[in-house]
Amino acid sequence: MRAARIVLVVVGVLVIAFGAYVMVTTVRPNRIGGLATWLLGAVILHDAILSPFVVLVGLGLRRAGRALRLWVLVVVQAAVVLGSVLALVVLPEIAAKHHGAKNPTVVPFDYTTRLLVVEGALLLVVVAVLVVGWLTARRNSRVVETTTIS
Amino acid sequence: MASPNRNARSAVVVGRLLGIAFLICFGTGVYSHLLQDPLPGMRFPTRPVQLYQFTQGLHITAGIAIIPLLLAKLNTVMPALAQDPPVRNVLHFLERASIAVFVAASIVQVATGLVNTFQWYPWPFPFRQVHYALAYVIIGSLVIHIGAKLRVISRYWRKRDSYDADGRFVHDDTVGSELPAYDATAAYPRGITGRVMRWADGAGPGRASRPEPTEPTEPTEPTERTEPTERTERAGRPDPTAGRRERIARRGFFTGIAAATAGVVVLTAGQSSKLAEPFNVFAPRKRHIGPNGLPVNRTARAAGVLATATAADWSLTVAGPAVTRMFSRAELVALGTTEAALPISCVEGWSQMATWKGVRMRDLLRAVQADPSSHVRVTSLERHGGYRIMDMGPEYASDPTTLVALELNGATLDLDHGFPARIIAPGRPGVLQTKWIAKIEVLS
Repeated sequence: MRAARIVLVVVGVLVIAFGAYVMVTTVRPNRIGGLATWLLGAVILHDAILSPFVVLVGLGLRRAGRALRLWVLVVVQAAVVLGSVLALVVLPEIAAKHHGAKNPTVVPFDYTTRLLVVEGALLLVVVAVLVVGWLTARRNSRVVETTTIS
Repeated sequence: MASPNRNARSAVVVGRLLGIAFLICFGTGVYSHLLQDPLPGMRFPTRPVQLYQFTQGLHITAGIAIIPLLLAKLNTVMPALAQDPPVRNVLHFLERASIAVFVAASIVQVATGLVNTFQWYPWPFPFRQVHYALAYVIIGSLVIHIGAKLRVISRYWRKRDSYDADGRFVHDDTVGSELPAYDATAAYPRGITGRVMRWADGAGPGRASRPEPTEPTEPTEPTERTEPTERTERAGRPDPTAGRRERIARRGFFTGIAAATAGVVVLTAGQSSKLAEPFNVFAPRKRHIGPNGLPVNRTARAAGVLATATAADWSLTVAGPAVTRMFSRAELVALGTTEAALPISCVEGWSQMATWKGVRMRDLLRAVQADPSSHVRVTSLERHGGYRIMDMGPEYASDPTTLVALELNGATLDLDHGFPARIIAPGRPGVLQTKWIAKIEVLS
């Protein structure tokens, strides 16, 4: 295991070194500075913005999900994740279209409307599941009540 | 930040998928790079003619799938981000630094790769060179990461080694995982963290331990009504519902990842796959639109060829080792035309099959007494751009489907598709299917 780990780390360092070599031989130094800013920005974006945001959403879901049944929570959570990832992919596309496509066959759709429709559909699914979950929970608790009274 | 999903087993499961996606992108990416910048003496397959359509479609689709998988992986290991102490020793510092490189390169690679497919370049560096160099940085970091985590990976590779009989994650301190153990029944931590967690659980401020799980409505599966195992008894907390709750939390987590991955892939893959075409909601390209029923990458206006490509005296120069001839469009047609069904497959991922009609490259080469199995260099009317000059190996030049195309989908080639004449060859990226050609030289 120890030998395998050392080999992997050495190979990895060599591959990174090759990437760095490709970088300095094909990209001008002032452009590498621009890339360094973007790489640093990516770490800051993840560590200081995305992660705290996800923790907050997780806490919110946990609090809101206390009263929910697990399958309802699973569906709501999947819808939130899918909706977020789609927004993350399509929002830059909307920006690209807004920035101006080079010809009409590039980013040809009305992505704003399409994103709103899909997110709306996901919202409908969430609402439907919450209502069904609430109704079944109420029916079950009635059954429990009547059985305890009789 | 501790959660039943943020453990080493989840990290291994998501990491495996993400690693496969990275390797697919790397392999198909290097193939695409070599097609455009071959090493000396390299030859490439020309069959199946849709090979590049497949590899590059896979490159972009796997790249899009990386977005939710990368987010899931980062979410799984999030507690390691805020570990205490942040750095234990020099080796630990180096490992965390390598992960910073890995994460930064991955995020920049995936984000710029995605936006590149929208043909938008809002960054201060050249895309192609940086995308290629970062690919090695990512694969190198991946190999280092596997080396650094090998003990954790092998410990939690199999499901049966990762969970106890109740379905609870087995925390193993000996393999060096940086993720804390999750315990739903543990007391709240002191200070602000504990208060926030109490709020999230709806527990009163005075309670020291977490509320008992209340799940009376969902019937427990019979198999889970077994007696508490030795392990839980030894731990002093015989709580069979905890395992079930952890398992459902995990299934919910992986359901979310699966939904997000399937969602982004299915709604965008229609630009390169016939199967997904009806579900093309968000792809940056739609098939069968544009002149000749085919999308366009670079227009004649953008290439600056509006005047030269429509000039009445246009002719194609074919320079052989001994003979040089000039051909007008009518003279090209007189050489005899052939039809070929070949796809346009863009490096940006979209692709579409089309029917082309034109003169075979090998017939043109024979017309100037050159060997059909020659290296040729094609020059476009374009005044600038990295693909103005294109070199073609003998495997393409001699291929019976490689055409100097004059017609597309049953009509005269549109100006934006390369009128008066363009190259179309099997299995090559769209940037090498040179449009508005002016000259073909035989190199060897």
